[in-house]
Amino acid sequence: MPESIPAPLIIDTLKDTFKEARAALAAEGVRTRHEHLGWILSVPDTHQKSVLAALDKERALRVLTCSTEDEANAVAAGLWIGGEPVVVMIQHAGLYASVNTLRGVAMDGRVPIFYMIGLLSREKDKDPRESRHSMVRYCEPLLDVFGVPHARLEGPNDVHFISEYYRLSRERRGPAAVLVGLETS
Amino acid sequence: MAMKPEEALRLIAARRGDAICVPTMTTSPAWRTIAPDDLSVGCVGFMGGASSIGLGLALAHPERRVLVFDGDGSLLMQLGALATNAGAGARNFVHLLFRNNVYHTSGAQEIPGGDGVDFVLMAKGAGYREAFAIRDLSELERRLPHILTADGPLFVELHTTLADKTPMTAGMGVPFAKQVETLREKLLALGAGR
Repeated sequence: MPESIPAPLIIDTLKDTFKEARAALAAEGVRTRHEHLGWILSVPDTHQKSVLAALDKERALRVLTCSTEDEANAVAAGLWIGGEPVVVMIQHAGLYASVNTLRGVAMDGRVPIFYMIGLLSREKDKDPRESRHSMVRYCEPLLDVFGVPHARLEGPNDVHFISEYYRLSRERRGPAAVLVGLETS
Repeated sequence: MAMKPEEALRLIAARRGDAICVPTMTTSPAWRTIAPDDLSVGCVGFMGGASSIGLGLALAHPERRVLVFDGDGSLLMQLGALATNAGAGARNFVHLLFRNNVYHTSGAQEIPGGDGVDFVLMAKGAGYREAFAIRDLSELERRLPHILTADGPLFVELHTTLADKTPMTAGMGVPFAKQVETLREKLLALGAGR
């Protein structure tokens, strides 16, 4: 059975992920001009609200709330071009709303964008692909159509997928995603 | 009298210094001729995203001016970006709107609302530090020093005629992925002191 993941665990994992990204740039001789570790671009997701609330108190992670997921994709591109580590936190409905930008920016532009996508309304006792909610059911198949690698965060033991799929997005120069199975705690 | 977009871009190119520039739609073909070796990336294939790319660049490089050459039809596709751009509060962010009241690339259909849409008012309402319109080239020349130095987020509506070429008549130019890669390499090299 899936379990809820505590927000502090996700935030610590994001910090480790960004530290690794900064270290990789430093190894290339690139000096950072910022005190923060990286950026979270968010179109607020009810499923990940405990993480967003905890991020409000974080000084090491900069959070920018965007009006739409299309914007979040394009801002992520600008930050990445500028050498900044960035994660996009959205909801499945936001993925559906922004598929043209996912295609145009992350795929055609070969911009590595890592997404944390909340599966709001996912039933605890069901595989998301068998959900009675279309917004839950179609998420993984849509990512498959676009060839976006993805993994599920089904509990605290899965948080390693955050850094793995972040790294994968950089290695493949394109999108990669983790799906947050249950509401974070 | 409305200015030709190419004339406005030439004026900006001559004075932009080390600014990063983000053209889109009908400013793209002219810009790549006027400033081929610039620190630029065009917004191609996802209309409305230029100012968001520019915002990301401005946040990543606060020491450098970022100039976005947006279109009116494009901005209408992502109007919420005005609030995001203003809210981010980047002092180095300049949003130039090339306004011709039509979707030039697709055949010059009028934008929704036509010339009744008040983009300056919307930018002010969204919270840009400053927003104003410029209606001719001499006014742009006079106000350009302010545009290139004042604290942003700054929004400037430029009233223009149609461009000589669109991305469809001029060809798409360098693929977006190549533009992305080239600009990132340049910026990382500057960050590494190479």
